[in-house]
Amino acid sequence: MKVFKKFTVTALTAVIAVTASFAGAAAAADSLKGKITVNGSTALLPLTLQAAKEFQKLHPKVKIAASGKGSVTGPQAVKKGIADIGACDWDASMDVPGFKAFEGQVANKVAVIPFATIVNKNVGVDNLTTEQLKGIYSGKITNWKEVGGSDADIVVITRSFGSGTRVNYQAKALSGGDIVKKEKNYKETGSSGDMKTAVGTTPNAIGYIDLVYVTGGDIKAVKYNGVTASTDNVINGSYKIWAYGYYMTKGQPTGATKEFISYVQSKKFQQGSLKKLKFIPISAMK
Amino acid sequence: MGAPVHNLATTRMDSSSKQDSSAQRRHKRHRLSNVFFKYYFLFSILALCFVLGLVFIFIGKTALLLFGQISPADFFLSFNWTPEEDAFGAAAFIVNTLSLTALTLLIAVPISVGMAVLNAEIAPKWMTSFIRPILDLLVGIPSIVYGYLGLTVLLPFLRRVSGESLGDGLLAAALVLALMVLPTITRISDDAIVAVPRKYRDAAYALGSTRLQVISRVVLPAASRGVVSAVILGMTRAVGETMAVVMVIGNTPQLAKSLFSPTSVLTSNIVMQISNVEYDSTWNYALHMMAFLLLLISFVLILVIRILGRKRRDQA
Repeated sequence: MKVFKKFTVTALTAVIAVTASFAGAAAAADSLKGKITVNGSTALLPLTLQAAKEFQKLHPKVKIAASGKGSVTGPQAVKKGIADIGACDWDASMDVPGFKAFEGQVANKVAVIPFATIVNKNVGVDNLTTEQLKGIYSGKITNWKEVGGSDADIVVITRSFGSGTRVNYQAKALSGGDIVKKEKNYKETGSSGDMKTAVGTTPNAIGYIDLVYVTGGDIKAVKYNGVTASTDNVINGSYKIWAYGYYMTKGQPTGATKEFISYVQSKKFQQGSLKKLKFIPISAMK
Repeated sequence: MGAPVHNLATTRMDSSSKQDSSAQRRHKRHRLSNVFFKYYFLFSILALCFVLGLVFIFIGKTALLLFGQISPADFFLSFNWTPEEDAFGAAAFIVNTLSLTALTLLIAVPISVGMAVLNAEIAPKWMTSFIRPILDLLVGIPSIVYGYLGLTVLLPFLRRVSGESLGDGLLAAALVLALMVLPTITRISDDAIVAVPRKYRDAAYALGSTRLQVISRVVLPAASRGVVSAVILGMTRAVGETMAVVMVIGNTPQLAKSLFSPTSVLTSNIVMQISNVEYDSTWNYALHMMAFLLLLISFVLILVIRILGRKRRDQA
């Protein structure tokens, strides 16, 4: 019993000593600490997660929690004080159709997000013009043969209202055109992942998604006005469906949040991991 | 209170010299623990009621703000849900929720009760010992898995069978939900049927009944309360289930005119939109009102079925 007790005490002391020395070492190496909560766009989530992983390696005392729900959740969470950074696919400090500006928030550009029109792999069409897309999404064109495909009904899949992808797609690809609300072959999905699965498993389906998600054999991206959806074409200005992604903060960012945003904006991250994820560096668009 | 003291006193014969005082101490201790547990249970029940009350109050409070902005008639009677153009009619969702639940039960209850009867009365032992663990396993599968299977397996199948190009709609959702509630209803009904005393069956057979008569006239009526609570549990899951439904119902805010038209129910519409609306907006209040309505619908449905169940038992 006594031996056991002695042993326990020794072990405990050892553990405490080791922990303390580690903590001390870490503190000496890096004074930056804090907790950053990122909420908002699912489109920007892969980027945020990658950046968080790298940033935490550099600053082990900073905890970053990131989650994605929908673009407007980002600035809303910031407004409510739930999140430090609200990831949003549009500049939420200004009015956009359907959403009022968020007063007192600062938009920090972090990436360029290209979007793509996707169709199920069984669809024979590989190019659509702005007018054709407008017709399809407003419900005027309902059969693939009207746009050069085979004789089959078009299944329109869209994101729910308030999705950043939808806001941008409607503004850029449909040049502000309507998206049908109540039709027979019309379906709404809640996230980019659901969109991909839905288009991939539904024959004759058309949808839209971030270019980042265009992988795998069930879906294919179609050309827009004859231009292939690719990062190169976004950079050289020929492909128009893209938008800046923003980190919204309450006023100018400070402390760990500021450091994190500058890390994401840094040349190292923009030219490295961000590019690998198929986003486009903000500097490329000047 | 006397019995445990007596028991303890007789089992501890060896310490007979201290018997009296120790028995008294034990008696005191037992009384104390009884009192403690009485208050503990009372506290638990009150805490549960408190939480339930909070849910009602907080959802209701936000929900009722809606009627400061639009009239209840607009909300309950209009079928036009176009929130971005300030049209907040929830009638379609209410009708769809009720019809989806009814359709689900229509599919699930006969099959489940049949399976329960098979399990409890007819199947040989090796078969029941095989079926029961499988059903228990099925209960534990997360609903999102059922939803994903619905999206990737059921929908393509329905498309082929029906010739529709989308396949989403009430039928797909009801089939997925039926599969989800089936094990729950079966297992609980099964237990209720097994619990019917053997002498009932013996008496019925002695009167010359066939097996079908025994099951339909004696066993099922005797187990009806258990079967009814099984159906209630299944139904509440069907009314409130979101993740599986949202993947196969199409999420289009319109009244379901056929089994295959993409549509939306209360749960799926709330989960699709709640994250995309601003906090202090009519839209947000309308979604809260829909949540509150969902709460009321399942509450009322449970009450109705409880009352029906009690009446049937009184008649029998």
